[in-house]
Amino acid sequence: MSEFRSRAAATVAACRFALARRDARTLAAVVGIGYLLAYLWVTDLLTIRADAGTGWLLVDEPLARALERRGPISFEPVALLEFGYGTFLLSPIDAAIGVALSALVGLNLALATLAVVRPAACGIDAGRGGDDAGRGAATGVAAAVPALLSGTVCCAPAIALALGVQVSGALLATLPWLLPVGVVLLVGTLSYVAGKIDVDAGNEDGNTTAGAMGLEGHR
Amino acid sequence: MQPLEVAVAPVTTLSSYESRRSHGSFGLSTAIVSLTAVAIRSARGCVFSAHDRDTALSPASYCLYMTRRSRRSVLASGTLAAIGLTGCLGDSGPNADSSSSSYDEGGGANGVTPEEMAATPDESAVETSPVPTAKSQLPVEYALESLREATVENVVPRDGIPSVDEPIFEPVADVGEGAEPRPDDPVFGVVRNGEAKAYPRSILVHHEIVNDEIGGEPIAVTYCPLTGTAMGFERGDVEFGVSGHLLNSNLVMYDRAEESYWPQMLATAIEGPLEAASLREVPVYWTTWETWVEAHPDSVVVVRDRDYVRDYENDPYRSYNPPSGYYAEDSDVLFEPLTADDRHPPKQPFRCSRPDDRPLAISLEGLREHGVYGISGDDREDDYLAAYDATLDVGHLYRVDDASGYEFDADASAVTGPDGERHDPADLPLESLSAYDAMWFAWAGFYPSTSVHE
Repeated sequence: MSEFRSRAAATVAACRFALARRDARTLAAVVGIGYLLAYLWVTDLLTIRADAGTGWLLVDEPLARALERRGPISFEPVALLEFGYGTFLLSPIDAAIGVALSALVGLNLALATLAVVRPAACGIDAGRGGDDAGRGAATGVAAAVPALLSGTVCCAPAIALALGVQVSGALLATLPWLLPVGVVLLVGTLSYVAGKIDVDAGNEDGNTTAGAMGLEGHR
Repeated sequence: MQPLEVAVAPVTTLSSYESRRSHGSFGLSTAIVSLTAVAIRSARGCVFSAHDRDTALSPASYCLYMTRRSRRSVLASGTLAAIGLTGCLGDSGPNADSSSSSYDEGGGANGVTPEEMAATPDESAVETSPVPTAKSQLPVEYALESLREATVENVVPRDGIPSVDEPIFEPVADVGEGAEPRPDDPVFGVVRNGEAKAYPRSILVHHEIVNDEIGGEPIAVTYCPLTGTAMGFERGDVEFGVSGHLLNSNLVMYDRAEESYWPQMLATAIEGPLEAASLREVPVYWTTWETWVEAHPDSVVVVRDRDYVRDYENDPYRSYNPPSGYYAEDSDVLFEPLTADDRHPPKQPFRCSRPDDRPLAISLEGLREHGVYGISGDDREDDYLAAYDATLDVGHLYRVDDASGYEFDADASAVTGPDGERHDPADLPLESLSAYDAMWFAWAGFYPSTSVHE
């Protein structure tokens, strides 16, 4: 239990360390926003359409509606926003899931990139530690896929339609697990990469090393 | 009078359906192939294949189709890749059979053997139920137990596809410019006691059931996109909902009074207190917006739901105008049919009916061409007459003593009877039979003994 706590604390510390850097913070934001837009797009909550009008529509009982499931891990939208170039269906819980996943993906990429590209600044040996972090980064990217796919679980027939395969009981049984599996993988890789970062070492000589490497200092 | 045509249509070689069937065990190789295929497709952009050419899409529309398809393709490929990597898609699924094609001649794709349904409804339950039921049971060609076993459950949660229970209407003449359906967009029309209402398919694809009142009668207007069937039912004071189950790809409704389960096309409960009882059907006309407005300019059209919000411009199965994606005539089915029959493209629409002496399916194209269509013989006890109604571009079916002697006057769009008198195809002085449009695979799956008329 204490090991779990120390790993969690190390992960939090590594995340704070990464977010204290402008470059890592920018990377996390860009990746996170990109992932969020992709998530909303693949879940059909966000559509791009040139002939869309402008306006919005709110359901009669938004609070009750927001808690209704329409898929294994998908909930009812409460509003439709038309913004001229497309439409956005606001499903608060789906959007919150998307934001959480995006944050995890952004942090994964930011931490892993820091570890791989600037190992010295992060207190990592450029050799074995960098390779491990690289694997962690790759795993993190891979982990983002099932989480992204989880958004499609509301409509198994649509997935089967896209591939030209038939829907089987196994497929139906598997789809609801994509989101939990994705989250576990993302958290796992985040913790793994965080474990490769010596935050203290980075703090102690980060400015010096970063300065010597021409990198941006802490903020 | 057109010659009697009860002959089986020529068997169409649908090799594209068969060659692309490979469901069952997905492993690492499948995953890699899926991802590779996606990568190649993405790199190439719009690429025609033999199957795609069959859909007769123009290059421009094909590119649009591919563009829209790519999002799902990428995701679905990744999904299957992930599933394949974990070895989850083995032979455990109810439909898993890596060696057989859905369209192998001989049918039995789902392992369900057709047999006459022996079950009868519980009369006391029928008498006390608030659900209006038909006096006689509609034909069903499988045992109820077999149908229950073949039902794919929880494709979506119950009411995950929300019915419309408080529809909002506008007069068709008042529908604002830009908000109205396109002229060729499909709409479902119902006329009851002089009141006419239209239900755009683009709305029903997101709701599947509208619990409405038409001409003072509570009616459930229902639509299943996967089988291409729009049907109406008397509902009394009871609302119907979407159970989330599918049978033979068809919507399984449930009534919110006693929770019997009703496959839409069978209109007969397969489970619950009203098991084996049948619903009272109400005609629903599948036509186009332009045709409906011209025929019923004073009617109203459902415009949206106040309880649930959807993007009605976005069809999860692509488009009917023109037919593409799942709706393309020769596109694949998603769920194995109860019985496979490859005599026609899976999604070809037929006008279908199930008289007691044998189900029948009439090609909509053939009916348009012939105008009237006599059906007799073929071990039938009665004769039947199908008449084309150009007003709504629909077909009507009648029981008749002698199907010969009827002719179609295309100029007047009228049917001339044996006595030389002209009649409106929608109002022949004959016994009208319930009929509805359906995709071929779905009809042949539910009613494998059907006769086919082209």
